[in-house]
Parts: sequence; C-alpha cells; structure tokens
Amino acid sequence: MPIIMISSASHCSAEQLARDLGRKTGWPTLSRKELADQAHAQGIKLGRLETSIIKKPIINERLAREKEIYLAYVTAAICENVRDGNLIYQGRAGHLLLPGVQQRLRVGLIAPKEMRIETAMSDLHLPREKVSIYLDQIDEDYKKWVRYVHKAQWQDPGLYDFFINLQNTSLSHAVDLLVSMASHSDYCPSAENLKTLDNIYLAARAKMALANSDKTRSANLWVLAVDGVVTVTYMPGQKGIDQEIVEVVKPLEGCRKVQCTMAETNILWLQERFLGAAENFQHITQIAQRWGAAVELMRVAPSSSAGHDEYDSSVAGETQKSPADTDPSLYTGGVEDDGPETVQDDGGLEKTLEELVSIGRSAGGKTIYGAGEEIMEAVKDSGNCSLVVLGEMFLDKGQETRKRQIRELAMNVRERLKIPVITSDEIKGRFFFGYRQAIKLLTYAAIVVCIYVAVFASQDIILNFLGGEMHEKIRVISAISVALFVPLVAYLYSTVTGLLLKLIGVD
Amino acid sequence: MHHLVIHFLHINISMALQVVLLGFIGGVLSGFIGSGGAFFMTPGMMNLGVQGVVAVASNITHKFGKAMVGSRKHGEAGNVDKKLAVFVLGTAIIGIQIAVWIISMLFKGGASHGSAKGAGANLYISVVFATILAFVAISMLRDLIKSSGQEDSGAGPSRKIVDFMARLNLPPLIYFKVADVKVSLWVILAVGIATGYLAGTIGVGGFIGVPAMIYVFGVPTAVATGTELYLAMFMGAFGALSYAYQGFVDLRLTMLLYLGSLLGIYLGVYGVKVVNEKVIRLVTSLIILLCVLSRIIAIPIYLRQLDVIHLDPKWDVYFNLASKFFLFASGISGCLVILFFVMRAYRQRRKIHKTLQVERVPLTP
Repeated sequence: MPIIMISSASHCSAEQLARDLGRKTGWPTLSRKELADQAHAQGIKLGRLETSIIKKPIINERLAREKEIYLAYVTAAICENVRDGNLIYQGRAGHLLLPGVQQRLRVGLIAPKEMRIETAMSDLHLPREKVSIYLDQIDEDYKKWVRYVHKAQWQDPGLYDFFINLQNTSLSHAVDLLVSMASHSDYCPSAENLKTLDNIYLAARAKMALANSDKTRSANLWVLAVDGVVTVTYMPGQKGIDQEIVEVVKPLEGCRKVQCTMAETNILWLQERFLGAAENFQHITQIAQRWGAAVELMRVAPSSSAGHDEYDSSVAGETQKSPADTDPSLYTGGVEDDGPETVQDDGGLEKTLEELVSIGRSAGGKTIYGAGEEIMEAVKDSGNCSLVVLGEMFLDKGQETRKRQIRELAMNVRERLKIPVITSDEIKGRFFFGYRQAIKLLTYAAIVVCIYVAVFASQDIILNFLGGEMHEKIRVISAISVALFVPLVAYLYSTVTGLLLKLIGVD
Repeated sequence: MHHLVIHFLHINISMALQVVLLGFIGGVLSGFIGSGGAFFMTPGMMNLGVQGVVAVASNITHKFGKAMVGSRKHGEAGNVDKKLAVFVLGTAIIGIQIAVWIISMLFKGGASHGSAKGAGANLYISVVFATILAFVAISMLRDLIKSSGQEDSGAGPSRKIVDFMARLNLPPLIYFKVADVKVSLWVILAVGIATGYLAGTIGVGGFIGVPAMIYVFGVPTAVATGTELYLAMFMGAFGALSYAYQGFVDLRLTMLLYLGSLLGIYLGVYGVKVVNEKVIRLVTSLIILLCVLSRIIAIPIYLRQLDVIHLDPKWDVYFNLASKFFLFASGISGCLVILFFVMRAYRQRRKIHKTLQVERVPLTP
C-alpha cells in the first residue's frame, strides 16, 4: 500500500479527507499542523521561517539553513510515521515531500472558491469579505512557500498523480476513489522504494543531528545517505570539523559508514554507466580540483529495472542481496543479516566512488530510476551544486536520439532549476585547453592584433571619423560604426583572454 | 592631430600603458564589486588629461561591449529578468538623453580655448560623481558596521523600502516572474530615469540600478546583478550611439581600456567566489571613498578654470597630482588586496584533497 500525500489550498476540507481515509483504511495519518506543533515544541522556529519566506523572499544563508532543517525535520517525522509502507499525510505541498520515493500517491485536492469561503467562514467566524481577502492572501503565501522551499510551482499538474475536485465529488466518494487507486500495484511499496525511504530517513536524521549539535550547528553542510553510508560535504572554511561531524553522525541508527569531504561546492555527474578510467572521469575530477569541488555521482537507470533488475538498485557499494528485494514484507528497515554474496552490476558506481574518495573528491553517489521527472526531482534535491554534467545516458537509444534526449534534458534542468548544465561532449571545449582552443586562440589573437595595429596606425583618420570634419558629414554612420565595432572587439578580445586564463587553469 | 578633434588627446606609449592599467584595475574592481568599474576609470582618464565628456563617452562605449559579453553568462545562470530590464530600459533611455544633453550643453557652453574648454562639464561630472558615490560608500560602511554588531548578520538586505512601497500600492502593479516581485510602474519609471541619468553622467548606472532593484523592488541580489548587466548592455549601446553621434567617443581609449579590463574582470569575478562577503563590502566601500576624495581634490581646478575661485594656475599641478595619487592609491591597493585573495585561494584550491572516511561495523538486527 502507498504513502498518500494530500496537498491542497487552505479550507479545502483536506484534513477531513485524510481523517476519513485513515478511518477507512486503518493507515496512520499525519498532518502538517501536527508536525508544526511538534517542530515548535522541539525549538524549530517554523513561524519565523514562514514569515521570512512570505515577507522577505530574499535568499540568504540563515534562511536557507532554516529551510533545510525544517525539511529534514518534516522528512524524518514522516518516515518515522510510515507503518508497513503506509501513511496518509496531509499538508501544504505534501506532494513535494519525500522526493524519489515512487510509492507516493500525490493527491491534489481542489474546491471552488465559494465552497472554501463557506468552510472558512464557519471555521474562523469571520464575515464573507474578510474571508475572501484572507483566502487570496493565504494562496499567495502558499505559492511563495512552495516556490522558495521546494523550488516548484504549487499548482503544476506535472507534480501530482491525481486531482480531486470537490465541486462534483463528495468527500466520501473521494475517499473511495483514493482507496481504489491506492490498491493499484503502481503505488505498492517495492523493496527498492523502501530502501529509498530508508536513505531519505537516514539523511534527514543526520541533518537534524548536525543541526542540533553545538559543534556543527553553524556549519554549512551538505548531507547524502545511501544504504547506511552518510556522505557529508563541508566548506574549506570549516577546516577540522570533519571529526565532529563523524562524532555526531556515527551513532545514528542505520549508519554504517561516515564520509566527510571538504569542498566549496558540488559537481553533479549523471550517467548510466561509470568507468573510472574514462576520459570523462579525468576531466570532471580536474574541474573539481580547480574549483575545490566535490563530485556527486548519480547513476541513471531505466525505470523498468527498478527493484527487479540484476543490479541491486540505489546502493553504491552494496554487495548483499536482501530478502526484501524479492519480498517486501521481509523488509527490516535497513538492518540486514549477512547473506550469500552475489556479483552485481552497479554500473561502475561503487568503483568510481572509491576512486573519487581516494583523490578526496567524493560527495557520494546514488542510483535513480527513470529519465523524466525522476531526474529533475533528484537533481533539485541535490542542493549545493554549481554544475550538472550529463554524461553517457539513454544508452538503449540510437546515437541521434541519445544526443537529442540529452540536449532536451540539459535544457529542462537549466530552465527549471536554474543550474548550469553541460554535456560530457562539451566539457573539453568549455573547460580545457586543447588543440582546437589553441587554434582559436591564435586566430582570434591575430585578428585582435591586426585591429589594434590598424586603429593605432591610422589615428588621424579614425579621430576625424569619430569627431572631426568627416564626422560632421556622416554622424549617423560614425555612431553606428562605433556601436557595431566595439562589441566585435570586446567579443574577440574577451575570447582571447578567456582562452589564455583557461590555458593557465584560472576559471 | 586634426584641429577639429582637439578634445581628443594625443596618446603616446606611456599614456597608453596608463590607460591599460586603468582598465585592468577597473576590470578587477568591476568583477569584484559587480559594478562597471567606471567610478575608477572615468576619473582616472580625466586625471590623465582626457576631457570629462570624452572619458564618460569612451567609458560608456567600453561598458557596452563588456556588458554584452557578461550578460550572456548571467543569462545562462537564469539571473536575468528580461521583462524587468525592458521596463527599466524604457525609462533609462530618457535618463541617458537628459544626461547627454546636459553634458553636451555644458561642454559646448564652456570656454572655447585651452584647458578651460569643458571645465563646466568636468565640474558637473565631478560633483555628481562625488555626491552619489560618497552616499553609496557611506551607506555600505554603515550597513557593514551595523551588521557586524548583530548575531544574525546574514539576514539579507533591508526590506523597509519594499514594504513601504507595497503599502502604498500604487497601481498599475506589474509582476516580474524571474525576480518574483510586483512593482508599481511609477516606481520603475523613477528608478529607470535615475539609473539612465547616472549611467549617462558618470557611467555608473549600476550603483543606482542594483541597489534600487534590491532595496526598492525587492529583487534577489543575483537577479538584480544579472538584470542590471543585461540593462547595461542596452544602456551602453544607447549611450555609445548618443555620444558617438555627438563626436565624443575616443575609440582608442575604449580599445585600450579593453586590453586591461577584460583580463581584470575574470580575476575580479574569481575573487568574489573566494573572498568573504564582509571583506568584499569593506574593500569596495573604502575604494569608492578614496575615489570620491580624489575627485573632490580635482574640483578646485575646474572652479578656477571657470573663474569661480581665484587660484594660482601653478597649483593645478599639485591638485592634479594629489587627485591622481588618491585615485591610483585606491585602485592599486584595492586591486592588490583582491589579487592577493585570488592568488591565495587559487593556491589553496589546488591543495585541498581531503575525504575523511570512517567505517563502522554493520549493525545486526
């Protein structure tokens, strides 16, 4: 059975729907309101975060950190409440929580404004006009919240699985619909999904523990957890914090290894199969070295292989096949007995991660299944990332289709997530100085020299053209010539300087 | 040199090298501070004997090409709100025209002989320059001092003006999707004219445009910088066309500035990535204050040329030297500080190789 995430505007009777559904199915229910109360009791300043986001949507370090803590808290709380893979969660932007977990049934509940006004009037005991203004204002606030906290559009239908409009559907009918949908195999938890949930849970607990510890509270950290391996990336300015991170994270239940990497930023590398010795690897690690960055690997596997391919899913370094892989009911929450070893194909993820660790550049790695929204969700979730590299992907497609799909994916990530994206084919040209760049540098430099020599060798003519007698006669031509000539010089010379700096490794 | 182009200077090797150096320092400062660097290059050229109007014209032309290259990069990072840029641009063009008209009038209305030619325009540019930049630098320093005493110094820019404007609710309000703000058309008009006027007068529109977008419109800092650069491209183009039409653009100066600035800007941008934000703000405000001081010292020369004060012309040399000293001291020391941080970070980045790995015995059920 699934995790049902109900998201709606305020006063849409979503709480009622969640309660009724919980009663009918016997699954645990959780609402954002309950979580907010618990968060407040634990000292998380949710009210301050909300006010900051709604009134001051300017991103700053404090707000970003509070947002991360809030998300970690909510994620951990939801994971804790999942029983046998089941939960009904109701709350603002619930459909955007637990990214990467495929068993979620993301439900959008909508109701006509008039119906919402009636409900709000009876809930708040306010006159109609005031309620109407209040609802408009709160909808605006929701939009801001979703945009800032989840980097998404609240009403984007692509982010939901199912919408229920209460205009023509009663609550009891809505409950029946959801029960029927939830029984569909698409939303049943596979061992794969449960493991993803486990990873998310461990990462959230690690974030919370780091945020609650005096030693690490003020640090700017990036956390990733995969199959008990917690990778924490910290800034060079926080030198020496690694031991403290280990002390905080190591005792967490389910944590079997802690890895700390010092880096200013992350480079996210998506690929279907990783080959440590490949040219791409050399290039990406060289860029990481130059930028003081860590490299996060994301293996992209076809969604059809999730949970039942020969490779043991999202786990880098996993060498055991858990019984839960074949029977979800045997899932033990990530705590496994030793078992017979099987040789698995992880697409070279583990080996490449080991190589990254050996050169001090690992930000961890994981596997994601699917090639559309799944990738977008995973990239969005990867946080502190200043470059996304799209390597060899869509390998089952022909070369032309592959190129097109990679190009489209790059465009999508760039436009929707506002992160610089580059394909592995472009890396060499963009970041490295090779034969072609040398030819370009020499050609452009020669043109620049010719232009400068020509201008300074004929200063009298040029000045006459710019401001002398000649200029008096052809003012318009003179002005247009300047406006066309100057950007050309700027372009040519900036290309020369850019290539020169690339040659000496400053970018 | 042709008699009709007397406002253009003869450029020898020494002067050419000084202009290249001005460009380089301006480029480093510009990449580091995020403004055009004109606050250093314009008075720098004036100190080398270039007429104020020619210095402004050549610099705005230089800024045009540079912004064209830079805004492309910001565009790729999603930091450009083109709709906002179009709205500000529409009014900024009026501001530029006002500035070009005033300066041209002052230049043409000045004495027609020797060094006094253009003294009115020089004085006007210097006064506007000193007033605006002193205000910017002092505000930055005040902000810095205030924030250093607070526990939560990362709280971001003040929203007082934005909130005040929101309460005023002057229709029509226009929504800008990338910046995610709603701004009154009237506020945009006012800011646009002010930005254009300053870009046209002293070539530093960014000093008004960026803070206005942040503090008045409520635009996120990265989007404000990207949009301003995009805007600067068009304003620069318009300014270049206007000044070139009037015959004040010295292409040689523009090209010499490029030689230094396009190299310097890369190093400055690199510096921003590696230097603490408070240090950036402190260095920036001190550099600007020294530039202001340098310009103030030059004002008596123009006043004397206009016969407003009576001063022995022999003193011009000393005023000019002192002005030059402060300008170059601010630029060179600021540039050296930035380059020091850049070099240190460059070396450090190559040294960092660290992944601490701690394994733990797997848990048993």
